[in-house]
Amino acid sequence: MNVLFPWLFGAIMLILVSGIFLWPLIQSRTAKKNDHRGFLIPAPLFNEEFSSELSNDIALKPPKNQSLEAELPHHYGMDRMILMVRDPHWLFAYWELTATKNEQFTNNYGPEAWSATHPVLRVYDITDVDFNGKNAIGYTDIHVSENIDNWYIQVGEPDRTFCIDLGRMFSDGRFITLLRSNTVTTPRASLSDRLDEEWMWIEGLYRSIGRFQYGISSPMIVEEHALRKGVVPLGISSPGFSRKD
Amino acid sequence: MSKGYLCLVLHAHLPYVRHPEHADFLEEKWLYEAITETYIPLIKIFDQLIEEQVKFRITITLTPPLLSMFTDPLLQERYVQHLDKLIELIDKEEGRTYGSPFHETALMYKKSFHDARSIFCDRYNRNLVSAFKKFQDLGRLEIITCGATHGYLPLMMLCPEAVRGQVKTAIDLHTRLLGRPPAGIWLPECAYAPGIDEILKENGIKFFFTDSHGILYASHRPRFGIFAPIYCPSGVAAFGRDVESSKQVWSTQEGYPGDFEYREFYRDIGYDLDQGYIGPYIHPDGIRIHTGIKYYKITGKVDLSQKEPYNHWRADEKAAQHAGNFMFNRQHQVNHLAGLMDRPPIIVAPYDAELFGHWWYEGPKWLDYLIRKIAFDQDTIEMVTPSDYLQRFPCNQVATPCSSSWGNKGYHEVWLCGANDWIYRHLHMAAEMMTKLANQHHNAGGLHRRALNQAARELLLAQSSDWAFIMSTGTMVEYAVKRTKTHILNFLRLYSEINENRIDEGHLSYLENTNNIFPDIDYSWFAPGMDLPKAASF
Repeated sequence: MNVLFPWLFGAIMLILVSGIFLWPLIQSRTAKKNDHRGFLIPAPLFNEEFSSELSNDIALKPPKNQSLEAELPHHYGMDRMILMVRDPHWLFAYWELTATKNEQFTNNYGPEAWSATHPVLRVYDITDVDFNGKNAIGYTDIHVSENIDNWYIQVGEPDRTFCIDLGRMFSDGRFITLLRSNTVTTPRASLSDRLDEEWMWIEGLYRSIGRFQYGISSPMIVEEHALRKGVVPLGISSPGFSRKD
Repeated sequence: MSKGYLCLVLHAHLPYVRHPEHADFLEEKWLYEAITETYIPLIKIFDQLIEEQVKFRITITLTPPLLSMFTDPLLQERYVQHLDKLIELIDKEEGRTYGSPFHETALMYKKSFHDARSIFCDRYNRNLVSAFKKFQDLGRLEIITCGATHGYLPLMMLCPEAVRGQVKTAIDLHTRLLGRPPAGIWLPECAYAPGIDEILKENGIKFFFTDSHGILYASHRPRFGIFAPIYCPSGVAAFGRDVESSKQVWSTQEGYPGDFEYREFYRDIGYDLDQGYIGPYIHPDGIRIHTGIKYYKITGKVDLSQKEPYNHWRADEKAAQHAGNFMFNRQHQVNHLAGLMDRPPIIVAPYDAELFGHWWYEGPKWLDYLIRKIAFDQDTIEMVTPSDYLQRFPCNQVATPCSSSWGNKGYHEVWLCGANDWIYRHLHMAAEMMTKLANQHHNAGGLHRRALNQAARELLLAQSSDWAFIMSTGTMVEYAVKRTKTHILNFLRLYSEINENRIDEGHLSYLENTNNIFPDIDYSWFAPGMDLPKAASF
């Protein structure tokens, strides 16, 4: 069954797709969960991947950005956990968990283990640590629901290094890692404490700079124009404009 | 002998908007408007200054998409058609406004459109790159490069090969069109993260810019703050944006561009006049667009319907006053700083080029006055480019700049927020796939090479920070989403065709024709390298 199922699904999708392609390409906003996979069929590369995905996420709710992504594959058939820095206080993570990983977990911890556990993001502070999974300075757990595959994480700490695990937690608190992310360092949000004896900072210079504002660039023009007229011009660093209806 | 330096930087960029599939593509008009309102007016003042032997030094980024569009025969032809329609319209306007307070302004546009045509067609033979190259070769402009498609590099550092692809592709095109490799780069959105400088170093780039806090928050703490560059540990210099000179020029609320005598952006005859009259000059589907002909001044904090007629003589006086004010403030600033420093301070003032002329109609005039005043009316400040500065002061402090951008809130949120975070799942995957392709196919030839090169083009086009930016602003989102998806899907299709050795030549040719940026791209620039910085550091 395990082997047959992907092919069956592929065949059904092929039929579906040939149908979809006949529609004018205007259904992007209302596209349903399966549509974007359908579009993939012409590229058999991904056949395997999404078919294996099917078993564990067909019942999932579409993520919030689904409609925007419509025709793109949401899964690439690869276990991955990507961590990105948004600013000194926030990180963003997205991940993909394949059915294989899921099966491995079930094989190791028993058929009931998946339903007996819930997903947890474990955020490790590994500043100045050569992280081996056990030597983090500290960690925070974020209990998330089954349906999501991305998350904004408020770490609230500039200039620290982080790494996160996606894992499953048993009711007794046992945590099993499924995916581990890359490591990231949050940017500083203030002057560095490290001073250079040869190039000692000139305090008066810094005082003359005083307070300053972030974000003086084309986005600001867009905002100012919007404020001024209730009209939002399209601002890239560029011209191009449209009126808000 | 000057006491300090002013480093004016104009960042000229538009995303690659070339749509051969449709004769009237709205987004292509971004380019045509920018040519008429910004690039040609800048060229006009530079030419005039050179003719009158007025000295100036300005740094300008010409991004690879802009260079590519400037040299594209289809877009050149379409621009001429666009301009001819505009000239036809202004000829009618000359008659329509006769005897009204708008007539003078109509005549002003008439002259400026005719000048544009003669500069574009006759003086530079439709190729604006040759104008900028001329100014470079005369030592007036230092032209620097940018990411190949203005990709947002810090969010790409997960796959440093992708950043390297952006940088190498950009340098290659720049060198071919401008005759020499760029010494510096404008990091797209002024966005830096540690590690990027190593890739710049590897490719011969000597300097870049960050926003003020990129330098102020560097570690170790920089001695001179933003008034001298620092060297990254890689040896590449980083210049920080000045705080004081930013808002005066950028802001319509608090700066010069909001002056009541200046031209009002939102009263355009494309919106104001009867459909029957203006119809042939807006979009054929009846969609109203800006024509560039605007007869009113900002007037005050009043409703659009209460605006008063524009008077270009008075606006011109204001531009001269504001240039004087800007120069006075810089002199004052330099005098103050020079007392605190043991070397002349450098004031780095970067602006979007499109601010001048497009958003702020009188901007090019202001720049013209500023250059002349600096040349003749004072000797406190001297205009320099980063290369000039580094030549005079090769010894600078070593420190690591802070990850930052010039976007709202100062870091990466504009390009990583609820409206656009979904793109990275695809962009990162595609970048990795591209690296894999480049690694697996050494010295590919024929059809394979073409497909690999096109895959690289599609990846680069998907990576434009413009798409994420537009999504975050909430206007014209559909176009940005469509562009992102289209290029990723094109990439994925090529990826599987290459892997399965079944390249569809017809489709490949179609893509090569439609998305024809970077004709000389080499997919091997995306190959993995041992010497790249670890992704972990961003």
